This record gives sequence, structure tokens and C-alpha cells, in this order.
Amino acid sequence: MRHLLIGALVAGWLCVPAAAQESAPVIPKFAEETKAAGLDHTFAGEWEFMVGGGAATFDCDDDGFPDLLMSGGVNKAKFYRNASLRGGAIKFSAQESGLELDMVSGAYPLDVDGDGKTDLVLLRVGENVVMRGLGGCRFERANEAWGFAGGDLWWTSLAATWEHGADWPTIAVGSYIDRKEEISPWGSCTDNWLLRPAARERKFAAPVVLKPSFCPLSMLFTDWNRSGTPSLRVSNDREYYEGGQEQMWKVEPGKEPSLYSAAEGWRNLRIWGMGIAGYDLNFDGYPEYFLTSMADNKLQSLAATPEDGSQPKPTYADIAFAKGVTAHRPYMGDDSKPSTAWHTEFQDVNNDGQVDLFVVKGNVWEMPDFAAKDPNNLLIQRADGKFVEAGDKAGVASIAQGRGGAAVDLNLDGLIDLLVVNRNEPSELWRNITADAGRWLQLRLAQPGPNRDAVGAWIEVKCGEHVMRREVTVGGGHAGGHAGWHHFGVADLAATELRVIWPDGTAAAWQKVPTDAFYLVERDKSPAAWTPN
Amino acid sequence: MDAFRRMAAMLAVVMFGWTAGPHPASADDGRLEPQAMLANWYYLMNELVRHTATYSPPVASRSFGYLGITAFEARVGGSDRLVSLVGQLNDFKSVPARLPGAAYDETIIIGAAMSDAVVYYFGNTGPTGQRAIKAAQRKWRQLAVDGVPEDVVERSEAFGKAMAAAIHQWSLEDGGAEILNMGFPENWELPKGDDKWVPTNPIRQQQLPLLPEWGTKRTFAIPSGETCPTPGNPAFSTQPDSQFYKEANEVYVAVNDTTPERTAIARFWSDDPMLSMTPPGHWVSIALQVTDKAKLSVDDTVDLLARIGIAMSDAFVGCWDAKFKYNLVRPITYIRKNIDPKWEPLLNTPPFPEYPSGHSTVSGAMDAVMTAFFGENYAFEDKTGSPDGRNPRHYTSFHEAAEEAGISRLYGGIHFHSAIVDGLDQGRCIGEFTNALKTRK
Repeated sequence: MRHLLIGALVAGWLCVPAAAQESAPVIPKFAEETKAAGLDHTFAGEWEFMVGGGAATFDCDDDGFPDLLMSGGVNKAKFYRNASLRGGAIKFSAQESGLELDMVSGAYPLDVDGDGKTDLVLLRVGENVVMRGLGGCRFERANEAWGFAGGDLWWTSLAATWEHGADWPTIAVGSYIDRKEEISPWGSCTDNWLLRPAARERKFAAPVVLKPSFCPLSMLFTDWNRSGTPSLRVSNDREYYEGGQEQMWKVEPGKEPSLYSAAEGWRNLRIWGMGIAGYDLNFDGYPEYFLTSMADNKLQSLAATPEDGSQPKPTYADIAFAKGVTAHRPYMGDDSKPSTAWHTEFQDVNNDGQVDLFVVKGNVWEMPDFAAKDPNNLLIQRADGKFVEAGDKAGVASIAQGRGGAAVDLNLDGLIDLLVVNRNEPSELWRNITADAGRWLQLRLAQPGPNRDAVGAWIEVKCGEHVMRREVTVGGGHAGGHAGWHHFGVADLAATELRVIWPDGTAAAWQKVPTDAFYLVERDKSPAAWTPN
Repeated sequence: MDAFRRMAAMLAVVMFGWTAGPHPASADDGRLEPQAMLANWYYLMNELVRHTATYSPPVASRSFGYLGITAFEARVGGSDRLVSLVGQLNDFKSVPARLPGAAYDETIIIGAAMSDAVVYYFGNTGPTGQRAIKAAQRKWRQLAVDGVPEDVVERSEAFGKAMAAAIHQWSLEDGGAEILNMGFPENWELPKGDDKWVPTNPIRQQQLPLLPEWGTKRTFAIPSGETCPTPGNPAFSTQPDSQFYKEANEVYVAVNDTTPERTAIARFWSDDPMLSMTPPGHWVSIALQVTDKAKLSVDDTVDLLARIGIAMSDAFVGCWDAKFKYNLVRPITYIRKNIDPKWEPLLNTPPFPEYPSGHSTVSGAMDAVMTAFFGENYAFEDKTGSPDGRNPRHYTSFHEAAEEAGISRLYGGIHFHSAIVDGLDQGRCIGEFTNALKTRK
């Protein structure tokens, strides 16, 4: 175990002013700006698009503003260039990018070939396609050039990492049901694949099948035990597997992937797994994981963290009820049936130094036993570590049929904005207009070599007596993710310290920086302030 | 049997009139026999039990009650051996009749009745279930109507549909037709006391017990849920020399010192809702296997499916009546409080009171009904779908299978001994009411 700080687990644990700890958290405010922003998009489809609907944000024109790709289902995927001005209304401009493929259910950005231009993997019902970034928000198909096997399955999930010593990423892709099965599709989960680097070539080798495969809707490479080698968490939809459960694969360089077993401490958990979000909520150095599902959602925390420096067992306790994040039924309206949760992210939407939780909700497809009017959740973390619902007060409690989403700062004002991709209804966008939010930091990492965006790094930011940590990952959520800025709220701190633990384990020195600012953090250099526009 | 093998077996029934194990008959002209059509629908409905969120064991048993009666009454008019259940079941007053002297096709009638009934009882299933239902309706109907005169098709389908509609209409007033929030009430006052049930998991939805009013639901063959009362659990005590403590310690030791065979038994009968076909579905699966192997006639098949459906539904009403009279604490709560705070049972503890055991009650009822139907010491093999990779098990009698299903709950750490013994007895008592029904001329 490396670089592990064991945080004190006490109340009053954050960089929140003492007065604030006694009071209710700041409830953020959002303004709905979908049409005003020029966003006109619908993820559409029938049975094969009852899941998916992912959104990807990334900066493809090097202006610092996140650009946007939204999956379209039977419609073509739609690319929007971010034309916002800093701190102003959000503005998007639809334009041709080469990404306009049909049958797209999700998208994840990453710089596959390390050329400094973001590439994307498009998850599709049919063939997955990797799109090489050419610069200027133009993309081209690269399956053949990069040896990327696209298959012909109902693809639903993706995670990526750079294994130690590799100059090419390892990508896991998850597939869902055998879509040719009509009368008995249950138990027909098709194969998940691990695409590793080819030997001595900068391209992918033939895929390795991750058996057993249990119909995942989210995957995430994450260094759950801080060993320095991420494992692959897979959240599976129990509706379709037989004999399945949640999974975690050991993916170690040069070895065949293998599952964590009950003998090692992995506990059998069977949920309608739909999305994963990770964050170190209790400052012990290890991430907690929020898993979306139907009815109760799960918040997993390690059951035990050894004090002798040894690595923990992969045994998790469900603390969702205790923390107030079960989000199991609508919190408003007259529909009290169980909820259905999809995309999820931990982000600090009020910048108080306590990360909050965004959950996109929506009925699967005319399921009468589950809420039809199922508002999105915006769960605000209080000083005592428990969460309170604020989706309605914040103005983001849409009851459209949500699927994918994104929680990113789209106009670079330091406040996290929210985007939701709905199924068979227009997508929605909310600008964060919270007046009394705290201060913030946003960081963008860069390192030489193939893994330029430092996937697998940990960013640490001091906040009062505690260290906030965010793992740089590709994967999780529901069918979509981000590349670009990493956001931290820091309450009223005018300055704080940050450091990066790079993917190879090298810990940079702590650096003191003023807050309310963007920083480019390059390896072996001091953080460089960056100003939009 | 995994999904592919199960599906292969289903298709084999449809396409070739046989399965790898069971053996539904084909008519001389090669067409599908009505019992094979019925088996196809039952296999699909057992999948829908698992994949429909409201289908807890009581709800599944209720549907199998009405489905069995639908198939039975659809057949009665075409049989010279069967007599209707009208007037013998609670509030069951009339069913549609066939046109005298008119020609009907039994396979089409059964297919049409089940094709509509599946929508009545599983209309709330998810999009994949809906898609499967539509595909089955389309494909299986085509197999049934090929070569049959159009007027016979129309008349037979109309009759089958009318029967399904009539039974469904009767079902709507039984108190179990509407299930909200997957069966968990929004409000329910939990009785207080160390002996009383408390929630056993951190799932927010399950902080109140499942279907607390199910015991008041209208029954089929027994007068009410109170008809076969249980003697009550041993007096609650935390004294180590008390019967209650001894039974708790028995569970504790059984789980801690489990053997591979006991673990296999616990998992074989675990039948968790939404992860399996549930205990009622498991017994339906047994009935289908035995029916197939015995090459039962259509009359015998519908008689058996009606009887097990009636008995299993009544068993759950009777069991739930007792559960919410006693509101007894689960082993996990008692053992952690009085014996070992870190104890974990083998199986997931169900979210409702402990006494009596629901699986024991339904298994006792199935023992009574199936033994009466097939006779004592009827040996069989249970190859019920094995989502957890479990192996087939062999039994020398339905009695042995029921006893094993009961004790599996102790091996799994979710029931005390008394709940199992009394549950089996209660089920057998309830099953005798079904056995008393007159279905033959």
C-alpha cells in the first residue's frame, strides 16, 4: 500500500467554517437553459435502447471549455461545440465532427494514442467504434488502424486504464443481452471483453473474454485498495443474469484477469446495477462506491481498513441507509413507487468542501411497478457526512425518463452544471447559479508519455484538517464520462495545498495555490494558473 | 438447467413434442398437444415470476392459483372425466360454457386462455417480459392454428379468451390484485418487544414487512386464512436453558458447522424472490417435470396444476395470517443480540416475521396435494432451474422433498425449528382442503 493517509473519522471533519457546520448546507440553485443553450437532442429507441443514453464531455478545440457528445440511439449521436463565455449563459453549437453515428448508446473520452488529442470510444448496439481525435473537433474511425475489435453485440459499458509499463491503454467493454433472444432472453448475457495492448505494437490485441459475464451497465477501473494497480469493478443488471453478482476483476500486468472471490472477502451482491460513482467520502484514503439500481441504491464502504498498513479485504458494507442516499423512491409528487436510477456522479455542487451526489432517474419503459414520475436526485452532503435531498429546491427535479448525464462546469465559472440525457424525450441542461457557493479549484493533469491525461492518478487537495481525494478514471457513471478539468470545492479557503500521485505511484510535492482558479498540473512542474478565453 | 437449456427444452416441446427429460405428447397428426402448450406457457410464466418486481412468493402463489383454475375450467367442457370447480371455491360462481355440439380445438383453447391470462397476471412485467410475451403469443399461436379450420380457430380462441377473462374478473375482488411498492407498505405499526420482528437489513424499502395484510386475502378452498392455525412459537426467552434459546442455538450451530450437503440443500431451496422463480414457482417446476415424465393426459395435467395452484395460494394466506399474529423475531436478530453479535446466516433473511416458515407451509401443502395425486413413495428427480449452479436432487417421495425444503431454512439460518415443523403441518392441513375438491365425475 502506498501513499495512504488514514483520515480521522470524526464529526466536523471538513473544511467547512465552524458556523456552517451548525447550519444547514447551502442549497444550490440551477437555471434550466436547454433551449437557450442551443441544445436540441433526443436519445431515442425501443427495446434495444431501454438502457444507455450516455453523454461525454471533453475539450476537442483546446479552449478549455468542455465540448459535448450525446448518444442518440436510433438517432445519430450529436456533437456540440461549447461556445460559452466564462461565467455567462451556456451556449452550444451543433456541428459535424465525424462522431455522428447511429445506434450509439454511450461514449467515453480518452486519449488512446497519447497524441494530446482526445479520442472517443462509442458504445453501440452493434459494433463499437473508436474515433481518433484529429484536432479542431474532427474525428475519424480508427478500429482498423488501432486493431480495435468492435464486435456485434449490445454494448453498454466501458472502463479504461493504462497498465504499468504499457504504452497503450487497456479497455474493458461490457455487453448486455443477446438481442436475438425473444422469448427467453434471461440468462443470455453476452461476453464482456478486455482489450489489452498488443505486444510490441501500439494497437490493441485480440480481445480477452471476461467470463463469466453478467450483463453489466457500468464498469470502472479503480484502485480500491490503493495497491497502485486498479481493479475492474463491474456492476451487473440482475434482471438478466443467472448465477451472477457484482464483480471485481484483478487485472495485473502480464496475467490473465481473475475475479476476487468469496475466500478473499468479496461478498455476493445482486442488484440491478446501472451506474458506478467513486469518491473517498470518509477521508480514509479508500474510495466509497455508489451503485445505482432500482428501489434502494447502494453506497459501499470498506468493512474494515487495517491499521497495520496491510491491504484491506474487498469486503464492503452498505452504508446507503445510514448516509441517507438510498434514494429508493421519489421524494416529491404523488408517485410513491420505487425509483429507477441510472447515471451518477460525486461532485461538489455548492463548493462547500463536501462532495455531493447527483443521480439521474427514469422509469425503464412503462414499468407500472416503478415510479413513472421519478425526479432526479441532488443529494447534498451535510457537515456530519449525511446527505439531504435538494433536487426539487435546486431546480433539477425533472421527471423525464432520465438515463445518462454529466456533472461538469460547462461555463468555467467554478460551479458544476448538470446535464441529463432522457430516453425518448429531449435532453435537459441546467446552469448552476448558486449565489452563495464556496470557493473552488479545477485541475487538469498532463504527463509525458502515452498516458498523457494521467488516468489512474490521485489528486489530493487539503481542506482544513482533511485531504480530499479524487481518482482520475475512465469509466463508471451510466454509459458516459468526462475528460478535462477535475473539480474541488474548498468552502471559504482563499488558498490551499494540492498534490498529485501520478499513475506510477510517484507523489509530487505539496503545492500551495490560491483558490477560485484553474491550474494545469504537469508532472515535475509547479501548477500553472490558467485563465479561460 | 441454464436459460439456454431451458429454452432449448421449451423449443423442443414446441417443435418436436418432446423434451430432454419430460415428454409432452403429440397428437397423431403431429400437432402440439394441449398439455405441451400449457407447459410452454407455464415455463414462460415461471420466468416472469422471477422477472416481475411484484412477484414475491405470496403473489406468485396467487397467480398460479388463478392460472391453474383457468386452464382447468378451459378444459372441463371438452372432457368426459372432469367436473367444474364452480361452487366449490370461495365466491367462484360461474364460468363461460362451450356451444353445444360445436367443434373446438383443445390446444387452441388452452393457448388462447393462457395467452390472455399471462397479460392479466403479468401485465406489469418489464419491457423484456412484455417483448417475450408478445413473441410467445405470436409464435405459439401459429403453431396451434396451422391446419385447423378457421371457424374452429375462431370459436376456440373466443372460448379460451372468455374463460381467462371470467377467471380474471373473479380474481379482482380477492384482496391481492393490486400490489404497490413491491408489497412493502408505506405505513405499518411494528409491534414492540424483544420477541417481535424488526427489520434485518439496511434496505430502506424493507424497513416494514412484506404484505402484512396478505393473511386476510380471500382464499380458494379453505374458508379463510385462519382455517389451519399453528400452535405458536415456543415461549420467548433469552435464558440458555429455554426452548427458544435452544432453537436459536440450533440455528447458530447449524450455520457455523454446516456441511457441503447442508449448504447445497439450503441453496437448492433458497428460491429468493427476483433472483429465482420463488418457492411457489419451484413447486410448479417440480409439478411440470413430474407431469412430463409421467406423460399425464391433458385432463390429469390441468387437474394437477389447478390443485397445486389452489393449495399453494391458500398456504401462503394461512401462513401470513399466522406470521402477523405472532410477529416473531428472526434468528439473525436474536442470535446477534444473545449469542454472537457478528453472526451471519447463510441465506438472505426475508423481510417479514419468522413464524411459521412460508417455504415450509407451501411445501407441506404441496406434499399433501402431490402425494394424493401421485401416491406415496413417488420417486422423482428435481432439475429445477439452477441459477446458482445447483445440481439436481433426487427424492423418494414428495414428503421427503417437502421435509428437505423445510429444514433447508434452518440450514440457511433464517428459521427456527418450530417454524418449520409447524409450517409443514399447517401446509398439510391446508392441502387437505384442496384434496377434498371434486374434479372428477
